[in-house]
Amino acid sequence: MINRALLPAGGGENMLHCTDMTVLERQRARIKWQQEQQQQFQLQQQEISYFTELADVFHQAGVHEGGLSEVVTRSVKPDPGLVDNGWNNDHVVGYGVGLPYNNGLGFELNYGAISRTSSCPPEAVAAVAEATVKGSESVVSDMISSGAGRESSKKRKVDKIQNNSKVVAEEDTRDKRIKGCAEQGESKITEKNNNKNSRNNNTNKNNNSNKENSDETSKDNSKVSEVQKPDYIHVRARRGQATDSHSLAERVRREKISERMKYLQDLVPGCDKITGKAGMLDEIINYVQSLQRQVEFLSMKLAAANPRLDFNVDNLFAKEAFPACSINFPTIGMSSDMTNPAYLQFNPAQQQLVACCGLDMGIDPPDMALKRTTSAPVSIPETFLDSSCFTQTHPPPTWDADLQNLYNVAFDQGRQTSFQTQPFTGDVKLSCLFLSALY
Amino acid sequence: MRAPRSVLKQQFLKKWMMGLQVFGSAKQSMSILERKKAIKLSADIALASTRAGRTCWSRTIIADASKDDDGKVLVQHLLSPESERLKKASTGLAMENKRVRCKKILKRSCCIKRVRKGASKVVLAKSISKRIVKRRTQVLKSLVPGGEFMDDISLIEETLDYMVSLRAQVDVMRRSLAKATEVVNGK
Repeated sequence: MINRALLPAGGGENMLHCTDMTVLERQRARIKWQQEQQQQFQLQQQEISYFTELADVFHQAGVHEGGLSEVVTRSVKPDPGLVDNGWNNDHVVGYGVGLPYNNGLGFELNYGAISRTSSCPPEAVAAVAEATVKGSESVVSDMISSGAGRESSKKRKVDKIQNNSKVVAEEDTRDKRIKGCAEQGESKITEKNNNKNSRNNNTNKNNNSNKENSDETSKDNSKVSEVQKPDYIHVRARRGQATDSHSLAERVRREKISERMKYLQDLVPGCDKITGKAGMLDEIINYVQSLQRQVEFLSMKLAAANPRLDFNVDNLFAKEAFPACSINFPTIGMSSDMTNPAYLQFNPAQQQLVACCGLDMGIDPPDMALKRTTSAPVSIPETFLDSSCFTQTHPPPTWDADLQNLYNVAFDQGRQTSFQTQPFTGDVKLSCLFLSALY
Repeated sequence: MRAPRSVLKQQFLKKWMMGLQVFGSAKQSMSILERKKAIKLSADIALASTRAGRTCWSRTIIADASKDDDGKVLVQHLLSPESERLKKASTGLAMENKRVRCKKILKRSCCIKRVRKGASKVVLAKSISKRIVKRRTQVLKSLVPGGEFMDDISLIEETLDYMVSLRAQVDVMRRSLAKATEVVNGK
């Protein structure tokens, strides 16, 4: 709240220097500036606390979980001073449960999916929209029941807003009301979000059509903001843009997507400089693939290292960090190969391994198969093949079991023999493999 | 920020160990690949159960795992308190996914692509990029479990959550591997 008090002052100073602008434009500019500041702050906070809440969220679910078919969304923050000027299109949904956070900013994230806490109206809006698709009644009932709970908190915030809104009194409201409707066709909880709403001539029309956008004419550049209410998110057309409902809905959708992309950008390493959906999607795909392959590889290694599936997990999270985990891997792999000679049998007919391993790691299978078959003696215990592939994007090496693949291919004639592997190192380049094979 | 991440990891670890015990008690001698399958399966189910019921991908994993015997045992073991509700959710999910998929196939078959003649370069570039994006979203949908049935927005959210969980999973597995090799080397 302190920030907000300061912001107008700071912003106003800048603006007042330009004497050319009219009062209206000046105020508009100042508000935009405010908004940006808040947004930055908000985003920072969100980034920081995203993961804190990602897990927290799921622990606090108990209250609001009904038989919802839910999609977990991001961390949720309590609904701060409802959209100070009702502007920002981003709303972080707040729980009615009373989470400790209150950053006092009016920004919230708009979720496209149902979250557990259907008590949060923006979520509820989305939830309502989703409810029509998924047909879960409990969403609605939850909304209604929790709507009452939120009343008090909202009233408090409305007062706060009223105090602040005098600053921006001349500005119109930017409301975004998406008219969703619950499948059971009710939930006509139409609260007045801000006092600004009252200044509008908009009335909340209750109809049962999904996503009907109200078509307000606007004099100013209006952005989209979300109202803290269960049903409606009115979208205002921007200046100079088409006002039909389709393009408005499109725009809303696009903004949602880009906003979520931003989060992904923070999550995926090395994506700061990539703009645009296509590039981001590419990075995301690579990252998810590499993570999945790592899981495969690690489980294979674990199977190799532990013949009896017993794991001793005391002190697993002791604070001796594994800082150079990636660097230690090769040595660990080697040592495990050396010390586990006799336990491992090899089952040649493993189609699933072949299928699940990576695509193109630079080794030519037929050649390797040839090498193996020609030089392989019989009935020597085999140890696990090690392969590591250092991709350029991710600091931790990407492991995959491609060589294991090759072993499978090579011994696919149904031989039940097992072979001992011997360590030798290939050169480690960007896409190089670490082999250890002993004959 | 550390705390909730490690909470997630600890939960995952606990459930994973529980799942592995099921296997450990059952079979005595398993081949390496069977062990690997067991490890991976229990890890996946444990991961899904940490987000049990709330994300589409977790439900998909559980639903798929429940189809065969091994998975079913694990699911029951790991999710016994919430298993009933989850099972219903999972089966419901399967039905609904089929419905969605059929609708999409129908829509696609009825849709006629119009070829634009004399399209300007800008428009052409836009359509190309759209196609690229579409193709990549399809790849992403194939990667994320249960992704084929979601629209773009929820797909991205699911991806977010899935990535976080995968990262935690990799981290836990890596550490336990290091521990295991330490133990082995120590012997």
